[in-house]
Amino acid sequence: MISRHQRILFWVLIGCILAMASLLFWERERARDRVSALADATPIDAPYTNTESITLDLANDSDGSITGVTRQIALPDEATARARALLEHLVAEYALPGSPHPLQSGAAIDDVFLLPLPLNGHAIQTSTNPTPTGATPTSLVADPNALQPQSPGGELAVIDLRSNFVNAHPSGVEVETLTLQSIIGTLHANLPQIEQVRFLVDGQPRETLAGHADLLRTYPSRDTTVPDVAP
Amino acid sequence: MILLDPAHGGVDSGSRITDSIAEKDVTLNLAFKLRSLLAARGFNVVMTHDSDSATEPNSPNPLTLDDRAGIANHAHPVACLLLHATAAGNGVHLYSSELNPTAGEPTANPWLTAQAPWVVQSQRLQKQLGTALTRAGIPLVMSRASVRPVDSLTCPALVVELAPDGSDATSLGDASYQQRVAEALATALVFWKNQAQPPDRLPAAIPAAPFPDPTGARP
Repeated sequence: MISRHQRILFWVLIGCILAMASLLFWERERARDRVSALADATPIDAPYTNTESITLDLANDSDGSITGVTRQIALPDEATARARALLEHLVAEYALPGSPHPLQSGAAIDDVFLLPLPLNGHAIQTSTNPTPTGATPTSLVADPNALQPQSPGGELAVIDLRSNFVNAHPSGVEVETLTLQSIIGTLHANLPQIEQVRFLVDGQPRETLAGHADLLRTYPSRDTTVPDVAP
Repeated sequence: MILLDPAHGGVDSGSRITDSIAEKDVTLNLAFKLRSLLAARGFNVVMTHDSDSATEPNSPNPLTLDDRAGIANHAHPVACLLLHATAAGNGVHLYSSELNPTAGEPTANPWLTAQAPWVVQSQRLQKQLGTALTRAGIPLVMSRASVRPVDSLTCPALVVELAPDGSDATSLGDASYQQRVAEALATALVFWKNQAQPPDRLPAAIPAAPFPDPTGARP
């Protein structure tokens, strides 16, 4: 004769077994859905059609040089996305083991903006003749200090760096200057319409890269593989 | 008059030369040695700061890079030397401004391009100091770089970056090595004193340090 409490225990155990089986089945279904989602080949970004030959101006800390090297990579067609992808590839080169200009790995470029020159700025001109009411009239005039292009179609590239990249950058005049020259030279080699380059960090102006190289200045785009030696 | 700006100071220690040597200590020690040698040669020497705290005069606020440029521009020196140190390379690295000395430099902010008319003079000074350092047997690298606040200086200005004597980074803390470099620089500056000239191209108006933004943001 099976006692009453043993029958209760038996059915409780049966219940637990069924609950555990249901839980395992539900978890299995979730895992299958997750794997299916990862295997989904639906494109998210616009496809990069073909690889192309681009030039990266790579820095070398040992001799302070910049050397142009050719790489075959796929780039988007749109100029802004192209500039950003170029710079991400450039920084990724420096994060490789044995890099002659070692920098921290990870995302460095938050965004790149290409602005057509001249920049349409305006300055407030104050008239010397007050109005009959005594107020000093003002008017907007073309800003004489607006950045001007050197040739039609010239653009200003504004490169917004990520603060985690800047904060981890090695400190020193040469190492910081080489990073900026490498970026400027790479843009010059691949996007010749860029005439001037400015830098931001997390969307804000910052005085220096890591205590030395000027980040407030507007840099002219140029071939940095040619040594810029003093006469 | 010569202006010396020992880079960094206070909470800004600059680059880490070794575990025990910070850039700010090397630059300040080199500046003290150079000041003594220049004073002995009859120069009036102004330093942007002469203690590690690197604060504004009569104020606990740290000295900004614009403050340093303002001190230099008000002093009207015949040469401004911005002293830095690095563990990379060896000898002394001399940098003059990257600004274009002729027309064509973007002038959206005159404060950031104030050095442009003085670039030719700065390059002459660079050559003079380079010659003296070479004669003293000190390895030399001469180049151009935009190092804050050199582009805002209205005087012949150079970044003098002291690198190790050989490959040993600890030599940057060696007083005799610093003394050797300081003597070569002081000797060259004696000759430079009689050669300094006003720039060929003066800006329309000499810019003053921009008024600080109330929010603390730099213009």
